[in-house]
Amino acid sequence: MLVDTAVTIGRLLRSATTGYVFGCSVPEPDVPRFGDFVKAPAQRGRTNVIGLIYNIVIEDDAFVRQMVATPDLDEAYILDQRLNRQVPIEVSVLSIGYYDGLGNGSSAGTIACGLPPQPPVTLDSIRPCTQREVIECTGSFEYLRLVLNAPDAPADELIAVSLRSAAAMRPPEDRLFFLRGAGRELARLLSRDLPRLENLLRRIKP
Amino acid sequence: MALELNRLTHEVTALGLNLAERLTQLAERLPGAQGSLRAIGVVDDALQRKVAAALPFRWAGAIPTAEAVDAAFPAPPAPARYNAIAADGSQIYPDRHGVALYYLINIGSIVFRSGLAQAPSQASRPQVFYEDADLYEEDGGQKPAVLIDAERDWRELAELARLAQAEAQAAPSVAVLDNGLLLYLSLQIDDQALIRELFSRYLDQLDLLRASGAAVAGVVDRPRAASVVRLLHLNGLAQSEIREDALRDLGPNYAGLTDSLIFGFLRPGERSALFVNASPNNDIYYRPRDHTIYFFYLNAGRPGKDALLRVEVPEWVAVDPARLNLVHAALVAQSRVSDGFPYILVRAHELAVVSVAERRAFDEMIMGALIRQRLSPAISRKAQGKAWTGGGRRRFGG
Repeated sequence: MLVDTAVTIGRLLRSATTGYVFGCSVPEPDVPRFGDFVKAPAQRGRTNVIGLIYNIVIEDDAFVRQMVATPDLDEAYILDQRLNRQVPIEVSVLSIGYYDGLGNGSSAGTIACGLPPQPPVTLDSIRPCTQREVIECTGSFEYLRLVLNAPDAPADELIAVSLRSAAAMRPPEDRLFFLRGAGRELARLLSRDLPRLENLLRRIKP
Repeated sequence: MALELNRLTHEVTALGLNLAERLTQLAERLPGAQGSLRAIGVVDDALQRKVAAALPFRWAGAIPTAEAVDAAFPAPPAPARYNAIAADGSQIYPDRHGVALYYLINIGSIVFRSGLAQAPSQASRPQVFYEDADLYEEDGGQKPAVLIDAERDWRELAELARLAQAEAQAAPSVAVLDNGLLLYLSLQIDDQALIRELFSRYLDQLDLLRASGAAVAGVVDRPRAASVVRLLHLNGLAQSEIREDALRDLGPNYAGLTDSLIFGFLRPGERSALFVNASPNNDIYYRPRDHTIYFFYLNAGRPGKDALLRVEVPEWVAVDPARLNLVHAALVAQSRVSDGFPYILVRAHELAVVSVAERRAFDEMIMGALIRQRLSPAISRKAQGKAWTGGGRRRFGG
């Protein structure tokens, strides 16, 4: 059973092998953000499915739609809608890896890039990945292929943001090396789409 | 689909035509009725005498107050800091075809602290009733829905009283119900002792609300009452013509008109004059406890979209300008953000309502509890049949 002390940022609404959607209430300034690495337990806690946040949707309903036209809205109405009413924010996550074998979220076990054997289950807790998990998950660049092939995600933006974020988690002396490696992998994957490659390389250039 | 909509096409067309014709007829009568209201203005002794003569006939009209009956009062400014409290209730009635006999009352409430940048506090308090004493009357019959409704009404007001006692010391407070304050129990219950007891319990809560310092109001959306219309009709009768049949027949000038049509002249934010509800219950039960129910009409809408509400307040609010103005200002302010109906009542309803899915989940909880007691719960065969067919028919080959 995985034991993880990281703060829960939401709970799973629905999932598939390729990704999952979780709900949360009011977003904090730092979580969840586009391009963040998050994880959800799967296989009854034996593993974690690691993913990248690629879309954050703030749902509305008829009541909220009716209120948006009201001028000078008292702060208490806004806080009531944000904090009290159960209109969740939906966050879509693209699965890019998972813990391979019996591990615990902090140290043991290795992270395999690719789609997980099982998706997480409804109401599972979603937590941000640790620095170690991000470094390990992005070490081989295999996840870039999954992102480029994802039909619904804004792939180029997601790659640029996630690579910059993964670089920032590494020691300063390793960052340039990491981004050069990512650039080489992207050049291999996008060898037939040079304009796109050029744009991506420009986005991740230190 | 069980309802063959194609068979109803002609009836629906006729319904639309009928409604259009009735509205045309009412529109023709309306200027005359509004003219009669303006002609009365401040009520004179002659009309007071007519009202006094009509009351013994259980006249269901509006008793005028010192305010001119055609007056329109603009909304006073809302205080920079006030509390608006609302409670609403919903229920699951006993179902003898269900897995177990019970009923449930759920009370939703909200305290909106205007002027403070904080989210309102909210609550949802369900209670389930399953003892024999809860479900059956003394003669063994199942408790009728009207008594469950009375229990819900009492719990709504008790929740308001509880919250008002906690909140009213901090700021001017108004407590609001999505219903009139004047109960009509005697129309549906024969047991006079029971009626007295139900009114007494209800009025005890109004005592607590008054003592809390808060104002209280009952709000009726889309009111169909014709109390003021009856006053206009009464004004047109000679003193000698005041009899039960003459009072009941509103005649060609007023039949079909409602108070909300009469007060269509109110502009957004304005309230009408105060009136006293002439219901016998008001006189028999409320007046001796100093809770005589007054009412006024309020246009809670906005320019281009009127929204007329009927607002009931007890006497201690009606005669206290500070409390009355707070009710008026708060209802207008609260309705501004929710299209003509107070925001806190929309939210209280949302917190109270028991959805079909929630009811199904609750029944499953009960079923689980019964199975753990080694019982074999089952719905009736009739309910099972409804469950089988309730999803709608499927047709093949058509």
